[in-house]
Amino acid sequence: MGLFELAAAKMLSSAAMLLFGTVLLMATAKRISTCVYLFACQSAILTAEVVAAGYVQHMREAYIIAGMVLLVKVFAIPFALLWLMKKLRTAHDVGASLSPGYSVFVMSGLIILSFAAVRLYLIELHATEVILAAAVALILNGAFLMVTRSKALMLMMGLLVLENGIFLAALVTTFGMPLIIEIGIVFDLLIGLFLMGIFVFRIRDTFDHLDVSRLRGLRG
Amino acid sequence: MFKSRRAATSFALGAGILEVLALALAVWRISRTSSLELGKYLRADSLTAFFLVNLGAVFFLVLLYSTSYIRHIPAGRFSSPRWFYSLLFLFLFSIIAVYLAGNLGFLWIMMEATTLASALLVGFYNTEGAVEAGWKYLIVCTVGLAFALFGTIVFYVAAVHAGLQPEMALQWYALAHAGKMLANSPALLKLGFIFLLVGYGTKIGLVPMHSWLPDAHAEAPSPVSAMLSAALLNCAVYALIRYDAITSNAIGATFSHRLFIFFGAASVFVAGLLMIVQKDLKRLLAYSSVEHMGIIATGLGLGGFFGIYGALLHTFTHSMAKSLLFFGAGQVREMVGTSKISMLKGLARQLPWTSAALVVGLIAIVGLPPFGLFVSEFSILREAFSQRHWLAALVLLTTLSIVFAAMTFHFLKVLPGSSQMAESKTAVSDRKGPEFVAMGICVAVLITLGLSIPAPLNYLLKAAVAVLQ
Repeated sequence: MGLFELAAAKMLSSAAMLLFGTVLLMATAKRISTCVYLFACQSAILTAEVVAAGYVQHMREAYIIAGMVLLVKVFAIPFALLWLMKKLRTAHDVGASLSPGYSVFVMSGLIILSFAAVRLYLIELHATEVILAAAVALILNGAFLMVTRSKALMLMMGLLVLENGIFLAALVTTFGMPLIIEIGIVFDLLIGLFLMGIFVFRIRDTFDHLDVSRLRGLRG
Repeated sequence: MFKSRRAATSFALGAGILEVLALALAVWRISRTSSLELGKYLRADSLTAFFLVNLGAVFFLVLLYSTSYIRHIPAGRFSSPRWFYSLLFLFLFSIIAVYLAGNLGFLWIMMEATTLASALLVGFYNTEGAVEAGWKYLIVCTVGLAFALFGTIVFYVAAVHAGLQPEMALQWYALAHAGKMLANSPALLKLGFIFLLVGYGTKIGLVPMHSWLPDAHAEAPSPVSAMLSAALLNCAVYALIRYDAITSNAIGATFSHRLFIFFGAASVFVAGLLMIVQKDLKRLLAYSSVEHMGIIATGLGLGGFFGIYGALLHTFTHSMAKSLLFFGAGQVREMVGTSKISMLKGLARQLPWTSAALVVGLIAIVGLPPFGLFVSEFSILREAFSQRHWLAALVLLTTLSIVFAAMTFHFLKVLPGSSQMAESKTAVSDRKGPEFVAMGICVAVLITLGLSIPAPLNYLLKAAVAVLQ
């Protein structure tokens, strides 16, 4: 095994630590913009992982996917979200229902849980434990953010993190879905975010705030 | 282009008729050759054909109803007749694509597209309720579908590890026939199926993932409510049927069928109880959709000829009855200005024809003869009893009685008596137009299906059941 391939293989597993870092930092973040930057970092790590996986597996398609992830998730989406925040001119806090300390505590628990969950399937999957656990941790972190943060933009962030986790899971277990399907998924994600953006404006115009936990008109 | 409502409407009608003809042609081709394949990503068989017939019928009725319904739409950003029809056709297109998808990844993409196409339709009125419902719909369904994506990936992983070629590992046809190859990774298949059930179950509105459904159905314009209830929910049912076939072939039917019965019975029961306390006509109908999706899931879970036959027939009969009811509720909301049950006292005097349509819809939806739902529910119950599945039968029968009582109770509050509306507002009256043609067709189809199922439909149904057995 050449030096580059060894480095790429190491990269795949050690990047998991960085991902755990972004997950825990997101749990502590108080401002939405911090989360956006962390999401961009997270996506950049994913891009590196795709490149590494493509190099190890000698797959051309992986570079196209890496380019797409870089363009969409590292640049386009974070820029769009920051632009949206500037346009909306509302409070920038995440609207956490848990203090940062508690959030980190819960998130650490979820990371341990993801290691436990992954262990059940290791034999069938032939994947590296730590990176698969990172994928599950991203999914759980995304869901955690959606449940405990009340601002509309944070729900979008949670969804994005969740999607990153699913993407990583696909990457480490099968080296990605077929290219055309990946493109379709990213396209759906973009349109979805665009529509959520439209709704965020509508929520602000109709309710004068973006706290979706206060949308309680429809019950029963 | 198509600035005026009339131009947009006539163009939409023309396109709709072409669309329905194209669907009919596709169904005819499929019924002759029993399956159809187009390239790597499209595939159809008898099951697809049956659902396409259902979709074509519902869409035609919805379009007919819309032509006069959208008269009163206030112009605004994303809410004009042009937007309405464009989004409706986009919605239709994405549902058709789900049915025709031969590749499960493509199926997921198109399922997400159905959410995206319909989110703006749900929020069409731009009121507080509509914005909240639209946002909730978008978020809940997108998260649900993210889980479905995870499930899809797990299936893909299982197939690749089982030795299928990567380009074949997402074709439902290949997966359904891989059978024993997939049996080597039962844990993965079970994991994937649970995620898919949660994901697509969110779109079906199975309890406890149903939270978006009453809001979206109640706040959307009525033709869209009908489209959601009668077309979209079936489309998600279709996706789960495909995965059920794959899982059953590989690791036996017990696992997936038990889950179907559990979630189905839970949906029937919870929705049935919640219907008692509803205060809004359209929310009542929405919970009724949850209940009926539960009945369908239970029928699929029971399996056997009559279970599957009943479940498939029920998707069709429920579509017709629920379209009829939502059309009627739409008339009420348009004429009276509200669909709150407490405000509608004395409706029968104000809107006699609409009330008549609602009463027929009521009798049909609670499953009384001579309407189609009686046949399909009877078929499912027959399977439950012949399999000695007492619990499912008990839950179904109990809840059907509760639902009968609840719906009759609400309708009796609405229909008779002297009206409060007459005093306050200008007189409301039925305005007969295309709406009543659409409702009349629904009634005719329901009665026909209740008396005897037409031979071509029966042929399609039996072919669809044969695909699944």
